[in-house]
Amino acid sequence: METLLSLRGVTRSVVLPDDQELHILRGIDLEISSGDHTAIVGRSGCGKSTLLNLLGLLDAPSSGELDFLGTPVQRIGGNARARLRGSTVGFVFQQFNLLQGRSALDNVMTPLFYAKGRDFWRRRELAMEMLDRVGLAARADAKPNMMSGGEQQRIAIARALVRRPRLILADEPTGALDVETGQTVMSLLDSIATESAAALVTITHDHNVAALARSRYRLDAGVLQAAEEVAA
Amino acid sequence: MTGFVSALVEAWQELRINKVRILLALVGVAVSVTALTSVVGVGDLAREGFKVQAERSQGRTATVALSVNGPTTPDPVRLEKAYQGIVERYGISYWTHTGQAQARFQFPGGVQDVQMTLVDPGYGVIHRTDVTQGSWFAADDEQRLAPAVVVSEAFYNTAGRPDLVRRPLAKLVGGGETTAVIIGVVPDLYPQAPPSAFMLNGAAQTAGIAEGHGQFKVWVQDGQAAVLMPAMQADLQMQFPDMYVDASRMDYAAHGDPIAVAQLVVGAVAGLVLLLGAMGMLNISMVTVRYRVREIGIRRSFGATSGRIFVGVMMESLVATAVAGIVGVMLAVAVVKNPWIQRQVAPALSEYPPFPLEAAMLGFGAAVAVGALAGAIPALVAVRIKVIDAIRF
Repeated sequence: METLLSLRGVTRSVVLPDDQELHILRGIDLEISSGDHTAIVGRSGCGKSTLLNLLGLLDAPSSGELDFLGTPVQRIGGNARARLRGSTVGFVFQQFNLLQGRSALDNVMTPLFYAKGRDFWRRRELAMEMLDRVGLAARADAKPNMMSGGEQQRIAIARALVRRPRLILADEPTGALDVETGQTVMSLLDSIATESAAALVTITHDHNVAALARSRYRLDAGVLQAAEEVAA
Repeated sequence: MTGFVSALVEAWQELRINKVRILLALVGVAVSVTALTSVVGVGDLAREGFKVQAERSQGRTATVALSVNGPTTPDPVRLEKAYQGIVERYGISYWTHTGQAQARFQFPGGVQDVQMTLVDPGYGVIHRTDVTQGSWFAADDEQRLAPAVVVSEAFYNTAGRPDLVRRPLAKLVGGGETTAVIIGVVPDLYPQAPPSAFMLNGAAQTAGIAEGHGQFKVWVQDGQAAVLMPAMQADLQMQFPDMYVDASRMDYAAHGDPIAVAQLVVGAVAGLVLLLGAMGMLNISMVTVRYRVREIGIRRSFGATSGRIFVGVMMESLVATAVAGIVGVMLAVAVVKNPWIQRQVAPALSEYPPFPLEAAMLGFGAAVAVGALAGAIPALVAVRIKVIDAIRF
């Protein structure tokens, strides 16, 4: 299986207003390959979102090596990184982050505005296919404020997957949902990722959600440790 | 290509979604563009109307009056020969002697004094004398036994509006009684003007109409006036060394454009209106970008480059103001081409010029410039937003 992400000794720190350095991530070693379903569990404030931002090319490490598809991210320019992110990574956020005032269809079409060629010209068709896949084709014209939390997260999943990304990053995808809806959303995410052979990295503080993943890690005070390995 | 089209489509989608907010901002821009374009268009119309009126009374640009005065009256025959020499040597196509006289005409309602302008055929071209009926003088009209007259609309009305095809007669009374033939009608110079008429100099002499103070006018190209005037003056001075010779411009533009300053002031006011519209648009755009921080972050997480975000925000503003510019220009055309406004602004014109293209281009260009300004600053703010902070905003 192709290695998508490789982190070796990655750290991330920020300088606080009082000139003190805050170490958010320390010596992270992680490898993500196609088809992996990985969960990273940790308490609030332990650096989960920072790690997700690094994995999604939204941020760069302070030190260490982070290779994306075999290329060190430091060698990838800002615009190239944005294009690579658009074509390879799909994000699912905790608060859904749907664009307000736009219909479900418009939201799912959004990533296709940054695609080239056929994907852009077929954006409506592709978005409708994806809405159909998450079971919300009938709600294509509905706006986020008219939808339940579960429906909004399914729209967010459709939007994250419409460009067929090789890496899906889910940041607390069930954090704003009740237990039952959360499980439905997770099994949908899991099945779509399995179908497309995409790697799924879920960041969560919910052990039930983490239990769905095949490999699990624990992030504690910026240090990543492998939890138990489960059979695929 | 796909990138440009997708940026346009995205901008249009943003406009569609935020239509109420953007519409309110654009009303200001459209009104500003209407004001600016209308000022330029109406100014153009007023200039054209003023020009026509001024040229009718003072002559086209550049009309030069020649005169020879001195301690004694110059010999008329010698003076005429000198004038004709000037016409020949300097290749003058249109020239005229002009003089004023009073004549008494018999009208159906009684005898009335009429202001006569005694001219040569070239006067019609030099003074833009457009006839509304009949024709202006031809060179051989001086040979008529019954002198030809071209009368004003007021004269024509007083005479009972006779049919010109039937060569209507107008009887001059007092002195040697003569019957003149009305060959043409010209508009009144101003509303409620008293009856007036034109007659050729030669015919006036035959009819015994005393000529008042006369002038000799020639029409030269505007750009050549500065060179020809001193040359013609020196030419005449050589022929009349003991007399005072003068060559001076008579047309309205002799001392520069008299309405340019007024148009500039009104244009500056319109420019200020446009600036206010631009500030309003910029203000709303800035607020909008702040409001859209999270959205920009989300778009960037899905692959929008900073350049694409810049173009997107900029394009929204440009597409919107371009539409406002087109609406503003259309409103301005409706204002400037309104018949009532045309009559008020340029009463001297019988045919109105088309809407000036430069005014339309200026209005549209100003709208796009406002869009670029109101788009560039928020777009710069937008690209500086950090993706992570934006998503959590």
